[in-house]
Amino acid sequence: MTMLGRNFARMSLPAKLLLGAIPVVIVLSLGLVVGLVFVGPLALVFIDDNQPLLRFLVAATAVLLMTVPTAFLIIYMEMKIIALMNLRIGPDRVGPFGSALSVVHGLKVLMKEDFTPTGADRLVFTWAPVVTFLASVMTLLVIPFAPGLFGADLNIGLLYFFAIGGISVVGLLMGGWASFNKYSLLGGIRSAAQAVSYEIPLVLSVVGLILLAGSMSLNTLVENQAGSFLDWYVWQQPLGVLIFMIAATAEVNRTPFDLTEADSEIVAGFATEYSGMRFGFFFFAEYVNVFIISALAVTLFFGGWNAPFDWPFPITLELDPFGYGLAGLIALLLIPVIGTLAFAAPFWMARSDRPGWEALVVGFVLFNLVAVAAVLGWAFVSFDWVVGLFWFMAKAYVFVFFFVWMRATLPRIRVDQLMNFAWKWLMELAFLNIFITAAAIILIEYLRS
Amino acid sequence: MDRPLKRRLESRFGERLVGPVRQRHDETEIRIGPGDVPEVLRALHDEPDLRFLVLADVAGVDTGTTMEIVYQLWSDTTTDWLRVIAVGLPREDPRVPSITFLWKGAEWLEREAYDMFGIVFEGNRDLRRIFMPPDYKSYPLRKDFFLPDDASRSPGAGVRPMERPFSPSNATPAATVRRSKAG
Amino acid sequence: MTATRPGDRGAFDIPAHASTDDPRVTLEEQVGVYEAVPPFPPRTERESEFYTVRDGELLVNVGPHHPSTHGVMRVVMKINGEQVVDLDPVLGYLHRGVEKLCENADYHQTITQLDPLEYVSSLFCEWPAVMAYEKLLDVTVPRRAEYIRVLSGELNRISSHALAMGFHALDLGGLTPILYSFIERDEMVEMLAALTGQRMLFNFFRIGGVNGDLNHEFMSRLGDWMSRATQQVEANIGLLNENELFVRRNRGLGVIDSETALRLCWTGPNLRATGLPFDIRRAHPYSVYPELDFDIPTRREGDSLARYLLRIDEIKQSLRIIDQCLHQMPDGPVLATLPRLLRPRPGRAFAAVEGPRGEYAVYAMSDGTDQPFRLRIHDPSFLHLASFTHLVPGNLLADWMTINASLDPIMGGVDK
Repeated sequence: MTMLGRNFARMSLPAKLLLGAIPVVIVLSLGLVVGLVFVGPLALVFIDDNQPLLRFLVAATAVLLMTVPTAFLIIYMEMKIIALMNLRIGPDRVGPFGSALSVVHGLKVLMKEDFTPTGADRLVFTWAPVVTFLASVMTLLVIPFAPGLFGADLNIGLLYFFAIGGISVVGLLMGGWASFNKYSLLGGIRSAAQAVSYEIPLVLSVVGLILLAGSMSLNTLVENQAGSFLDWYVWQQPLGVLIFMIAATAEVNRTPFDLTEADSEIVAGFATEYSGMRFGFFFFAEYVNVFIISALAVTLFFGGWNAPFDWPFPITLELDPFGYGLAGLIALLLIPVIGTLAFAAPFWMARSDRPGWEALVVGFVLFNLVAVAAVLGWAFVSFDWVVGLFWFMAKAYVFVFFFVWMRATLPRIRVDQLMNFAWKWLMELAFLNIFITAAAIILIEYLRS
Repeated sequence: MDRPLKRRLESRFGERLVGPVRQRHDETEIRIGPGDVPEVLRALHDEPDLRFLVLADVAGVDTGTTMEIVYQLWSDTTTDWLRVIAVGLPREDPRVPSITFLWKGAEWLEREAYDMFGIVFEGNRDLRRIFMPPDYKSYPLRKDFFLPDDASRSPGAGVRPMERPFSPSNATPAATVRRSKAG
Repeated sequence: MTATRPGDRGAFDIPAHASTDDPRVTLEEQVGVYEAVPPFPPRTERESEFYTVRDGELLVNVGPHHPSTHGVMRVVMKINGEQVVDLDPVLGYLHRGVEKLCENADYHQTITQLDPLEYVSSLFCEWPAVMAYEKLLDVTVPRRAEYIRVLSGELNRISSHALAMGFHALDLGGLTPILYSFIERDEMVEMLAALTGQRMLFNFFRIGGVNGDLNHEFMSRLGDWMSRATQQVEANIGLLNENELFVRRNRGLGVIDSETALRLCWTGPNLRATGLPFDIRRAHPYSVYPELDFDIPTRREGDSLARYLLRIDEIKQSLRIIDQCLHQMPDGPVLATLPRLLRPRPGRAFAAVEGPRGEYAVYAMSDGTDQPFRLRIHDPSFLHLASFTHLVPGNLLADWMTINASLDPIMGGVDK
């Protein structure tokens, strides 16, 4: 034992770690095996009995995990695009083109002091960001990202979306009220007024769509738009799209309707007193909301995961990676090595003054890029849902870009103008849209009969 | 210098003027007693041949012996700035009627003069300190308010440091107030 | 609930170390501490009336660290919902006592003290002071020096207006225009830095002239910029002037007629936006402005939009003046010969110039020593702020930011 201790002390750090990990791994694997043997059958029975619950758990977890990279990406997009529109450089320090800056922002938010002001209603103050964030995230459950890739196919999906999305304003109001700050209060009340006003045209703008589709299930809506881009609902509901986009901008508090956090008026609105990860939740919720509303716009009016046109040269790749047996396994082992060496060779030959391992690193990176591209291309060709996800995300991020663009361009609207616009223009137009759609449906049916 | 203006002012405000009308460069200067301020300024503002519509400045002055209020006026009837000086306010209790009934904007100018000199403008609806904190007691621009490194308190008052004769560091500072020799 | 000031309970009675952890202090008493009501009896009737909060009203402290106060200003607002019922600006957060400092500095040194007053247009703070001193000393300024003063002053005016335009948009929530207008401002600041040696606090004017003659870098930069200035200004105008949101938020807001504006002692672009062509460059000509050909733009509306647009018009006129200055610039010395130690005869002098925000004036008294006996600085932003109580009540909270931006105050000058 003493000898082992002395030898252990002489080892290098990686060796220590490795040696320390071996017993842990052994114990864990044994435990896993034992657990599987004893608990496995019971778990299988439970899973068989509770399929929907499991689906919900998996979907909710996936959606929660998805929000983090989504928010990071949109925050980075916003920083960089607005910077470029402002003739600035924007983030350029952390990561390539500053792309890791939003990750660093996230870490910073985690490390900051979580501050509760004196006089705040602690319980409400603490729960407000959670309510806002969860309400935003849970709406993602019904959005069909790709064929078969959705949390739940509710027959009242659209209703669920608006109902749950409407809860997020309660969080803002809670935060504004509990902060014990007048700016926060003003921001909270503004957000409540704004949400109540714009919820109505937002919901009314999709009623025409529901009349056309005869369903509130988002999956059905997307399937109805299958075909080319001429089959999208945007051509049948141009007014509806317009109203929807305006009301949605107001609903997610984006410029020019960002009155709830108007920094030049009420400092930061409901978020004035928030810091640390509580503020981070608000911040995340805002950017996830941008993605969500873009996703909904795509789903409802722009064909969802349907490709805008059929690929004119259909490629079919008859590749079954699991059908090659042992040869396939050996190829899987050899291809990376050969590929790395193949990509490294030209660099190694070109520069004799550089060490060989640099060429190897370059070759490794290049091979990885090519390999990832090849696998993605194979997946794109072979799997339906990858194609769907690709088109869905592409369209959604076009709308995200649109929101960012608006933020860089437009000044803020005033409260009374905001209200006037909602009640005097958008609502009437939404009713007009419903009326026209209904009339058109009846007219077409009459002409057909 | 606008000579006709001098004659007009002398004929209009003859008995109210304290001292002669002075003119230099593009400025004309009249001096009045503090009690005459409302009437004189109202006449200057309202009468069609004077029409001094623009109040360019209101300044308090502490001459070391008395207080003054200086109004600068502009009119399109003359090429001069008109300076109206209300002279002879006692330093202990300087009071002058407010002119906010003519120029509402003078409210803050008078507040500033009150804050800096302690001159009370009777009729100003909101005469409180404007720059200094509300619990501040003294009036910083008065001549008996010394800065910590105030050169005018030292033996070589008003002399540049290079010209100042050497004085020992423990010498008693001259407690004299710097008094105006300005006309 | 009719809350009045904390009365005999007195906010001062609460110990300074009080917090909610202290069981003796209830939250209600804490609220008394946090109210915007000053913790002492009212000094004037106006203060007593303002701090009496009626039902449904709320006192909000805007500032001193608010994003859109253009410096360090505090405005206590009494709001009813979103509507501003009344407001009480509280100044003094930047007060440095420049007038007192000047009374203890000699005539040359005062110029550096005056620079940081209006830090975005420093030349206009120096200008009236040196003019007043020249009157006290009976000095004639060389004509080339006067032309250089006008030239650099107009450049500074353009840079100041560029800043005002950018911040106007920023206060309305537009992020982009300020960066576009700062491209121009930066170019001008660099130009002035080439001429004066500093980017911001130029310290360029001297008693009897200016500090240095035009140099090659300045002239080449100016030539470059003048060749594209009009185009750039037009491009920046296009960012906002056609914007429906911007126009709708500004039109008909903070309307004032010229009669009231004169009673409120307004000057400068804000007064001219009411239709009164009062510009000291023409109303009381100084320097070489009588020899220059330029118009005084006016607008009739007197609202925020007019004030904004008038600044753009002024930029165009300033470009005209710069062009004429360059063509008419005579040769000669740029500084009158004066003794280094100035002791003017006892006397009084008043000088005013038309700055980017209105009338900058200095009233100087000499008692025969080398230090001014009294130096009074007049700043236009001070009076524009004073009219908040006239313009803002009845409008919305967000309108205060718009009106404030359209008045374009600089707190360094207001607080002296």
